[in-house]
Amino acid sequence: MMPLLEVEHLSIAFGGLKAVQDFNLTLAPGDLQGLIGPNGAGKTTVFNLLTGVYRPNHGTVRLEGRTLTGLRPYQVAAAGIARTFQASRLFADLSVLDNVRIGCQLRSARGLTATVFRTSSQVGAERQIRARCEQLLEIFGLADRRDELARNLPYGDQRRVEMARALATEPKVLLLDEPAAGMHPQEKLMLRELIRSVRRQFGVTILLIEHDMGVVMDICERITVLDYGVTIAAGTPQEVQNDPRVIAAYLGTPQEEEDSGKNVSGTSASSPVS
Amino acid sequence: MLSGSRASAEPTLNPPGWTVLPRNLGPLIIGLALATLLHFGIQPRAGAFPTKVMLDAGINIMLAVSLTLVNGFTGQFSIGHAGFMALGGYAAAAVTYYGSYRLWGSPDFHGGLLSWTVSQGTFHGPLLAGGDALFLLACLVGGLVAAGAGYVVGLPSLRLRGDYLAIVTLGFGEIVRVLIQASRYQLFSAEEVRATPFAKLATMLGGSLGFISLPFYTTLFWVYTLTALTLIVTYRIKQSSYGRAFLSIREDETAAEALGVHTTRYKVRAFVLAAFFAGVAGALYAHSIGSINAGELGFQKSFDLVIMVVLGGMGSISGSTLAAILLTILPEALRKVTDYANLYLPPEYALPDLRMIIYSLALILMMILRPQGLLGLHEVWDLWRRRARRGRPAPAGKGPA
Amino acid sequence: MTKLVQTLMDGLAAGGLYALVALGYTMVYGILKFINFAHSDVFVLGAWLSFTVAVHLLGLGLSSAGAGAAPWWALPAVLVSAMAACGLAGFLIERFAYRPLRNAPRLNVLITAIGVSLLLQNTGQLRVFFGPYPKRMPTLVPDVALGQIAGVRIPLVDVLVIATALLLMLALEWLIFRTKLGRAMRAVSYNTSIAALMGVNVNRVISFTFVLGSALAAAAGLLYGLKYPAGLKQPADTSWVMMGLKAFVAAVVGGIGNVRGAMLGGLLIGLLEFFGVAYFDPLYRDVYVFSLLILVLLFRPTGILGRPATEKV
Repeated sequence: MMPLLEVEHLSIAFGGLKAVQDFNLTLAPGDLQGLIGPNGAGKTTVFNLLTGVYRPNHGTVRLEGRTLTGLRPYQVAAAGIARTFQASRLFADLSVLDNVRIGCQLRSARGLTATVFRTSSQVGAERQIRARCEQLLEIFGLADRRDELARNLPYGDQRRVEMARALATEPKVLLLDEPAAGMHPQEKLMLRELIRSVRRQFGVTILLIEHDMGVVMDICERITVLDYGVTIAAGTPQEVQNDPRVIAAYLGTPQEEEDSGKNVSGTSASSPVS
Repeated sequence: MLSGSRASAEPTLNPPGWTVLPRNLGPLIIGLALATLLHFGIQPRAGAFPTKVMLDAGINIMLAVSLTLVNGFTGQFSIGHAGFMALGGYAAAAVTYYGSYRLWGSPDFHGGLLSWTVSQGTFHGPLLAGGDALFLLACLVGGLVAAGAGYVVGLPSLRLRGDYLAIVTLGFGEIVRVLIQASRYQLFSAEEVRATPFAKLATMLGGSLGFISLPFYTTLFWVYTLTALTLIVTYRIKQSSYGRAFLSIREDETAAEALGVHTTRYKVRAFVLAAFFAGVAGALYAHSIGSINAGELGFQKSFDLVIMVVLGGMGSISGSTLAAILLTILPEALRKVTDYANLYLPPEYALPDLRMIIYSLALILMMILRPQGLLGLHEVWDLWRRRARRGRPAPAGKGPA
Repeated sequence: MTKLVQTLMDGLAAGGLYALVALGYTMVYGILKFINFAHSDVFVLGAWLSFTVAVHLLGLGLSSAGAGAAPWWALPAVLVSAMAACGLAGFLIERFAYRPLRNAPRLNVLITAIGVSLLLQNTGQLRVFFGPYPKRMPTLVPDVALGQIAGVRIPLVDVLVIATALLLMLALEWLIFRTKLGRAMRAVSYNTSIAALMGVNVNRVISFTFVLGSALAAAAGLLYGLKYPAGLKQPADTSWVMMGLKAFVAAVVGGIGNVRGAMLGGLLIGLLEFFGVAYFDPLYRDVYVFSLLILVLLFRPTGILGRPATEKV
């Protein structure tokens, strides 16, 4: 099967800091992959490179054979890559419905003349957008909150609005940046189900960044591990869990631990706790 | 249920063409009716002064609403809006003044019933005359010239945020003022006008003396028709996907771009649209007082407009409208009060014009106590809807994910 | 040659004034990341306060051409009182108008600053304060020449203006880069919360920054009044706003947030304006400065000495 997303030798340096070095990734249609690593490893930087927020110094990004490297974020979105953000970037003063509708307008919005003259094509397009977005909200269980301001929603709901909004752009690839951040265990269980069902229902390919090993090991089919911008491991959850380099990156080697009294930032495979 | 397939042709929800027409033209017809009522019904009965206040109010509504399009909808802080007004006014004035000379040999009034004001005496003539056509053309030209400037100002906006952009727009307003005041003297005879080529006429705008002797084409009818148009267009933009794209830029530009919004294009477009309406307002302004002077359209005027938009609620069309009306009437009322009081006060204690002091205090207090202005992003009718909904009990729980 | 020297002198004097005002803009921007629109009005306040102190407190009227009637201590006395009074004004403005908005979106603070600016301008024009008429600054410095260069008379006033401006800039340079307080100011400008964690009293540092900037603006106001005694227009006159804007442009050109940048920018703008007027067209004096602003903002928005700021996505 032709790969959907091909990332090759992606690198970027900020001044002297090599944030990401020689990053490679392949996503086949329908994949659910994970990107993990200690804080500051460069995971969000990879997302920013994929979506055009940063321009890489080296490397290419190709979606269904089409080169996306160097395109602006809105062009990448139009090509079919959508993302959510680590810190919630909802449109706070707009309603939930409006937030999602802005995702929808990528594919359906009409131009200025049609808008000002309220042509029947424009009215139809607006109705279509509204219908589609209400369906989306229905699926995410947010339909009854559609008119509430995004800022007034509880945190868990806000994260779901972000996901719904990203899906409204009808992406081929969905990048989720720490979707479980700030959630309590109950919400995290629901999140795992949500991500799986999103993949099923929307037919999107998903790449997610996560710190919660329980979530990652459970749902990801393949995991790439970054440390200081370098890929130190890639493989199935089993392989990655047992890789000594990964363990060292998260926990430190026994000598280091004694020396610095380092804090544990990762977890062992068995406990589903972040 | 949504499926994953994207290419599937979904059944269209387009309403048949003819059903859209009533809702489409309805507001425009209402606007025309209101304008007609004001011009023929109210103007003869009210005095010259109330008429002037109504004219000014309409022009200020156009200016405030157009400013809210840039400041409120896209969140770009533009504080040189009067520059667009000046450009539009001067361009329009050049068209009517020199155009009148070329067509009819004098800059006198050549309009019809719709441009006639009661103070000009009795009227004999057609509803719409050559002068009206020239005037409307002039308004369009004014709008387009200002829109062009809006494009030029919008371009730096792509690289600048917040404070920096504000300074550039302020600088723009000042550069416009200085350049206009450096223009050549105005021509006053038909032979001279006919002898001068168009390109040169465009630079003969009166310099620091201002552009005078303009025909008085602006009436309540034209002001309120064009104001209605401005309101309709702006409202339709706000309610649509186009407008939501603007709002997304105001809220979070990075997120908007990630969702496919062409932020740079929308930001420039906001400037162009806003400038267009400001230019038309400038044209109306010039032909209501018969002259235009760039010296009076500097940052003082820009700040007046910013105050209207901030007080009314940045991003609220009805808020800006209300604020514009209020802040047109208020200075006049205030002036009457101080004049009256000064009749009874000894000269050393005469009250000065307190308008700006009250404005600035109001601005400061507003920012501390209610920074979103009167209405924030909402419209007046949204508030009624919200109150109705609050009556209903909160829905219990939420559906499964 | 004469023209060159004359223009150079005028440009440097104006540049020094712009630099002093620009310092206030840049320090506040460096610490609070917003443009204090009301700053130029403190400059105006300084000029008018100097006038008021000189005329009403020290009883100095207009001196007739010739020997200065003002005692030698008049100038320093006026300078100190103007600086103190404006420092207080700056403190009050920050305390009551800006501090409540410390965490608000920057656009809101910008609007408040515009409000404060308008308030200062229009209250200043009230008859109970400075009145709505231009006045002439009394001569506090005797109108003598210190010599000649290339046929150009070098008046004491000009030398004093340039020297005072330079002295104050050097004093500020020492304060910011050689003292503990200056270190605290720089810490707050890099990262307010971390500075607080390090034990810096952020509120006090911010207040002090405003006081300092306002005092410098007051000095600039007095110096302006000395060099251009006929230029003391009423507080809401556009000429003041233009000067304030140009000083702001100087801060931006030099790199806003950067103290040395403000000094450099001020001198640059002063020289640009006067050379433009002398060698091109005096009608466009303001356009030169604004055009430079737009060029800088388009091609090097952080200014000559500024450092780029990046937004974390």
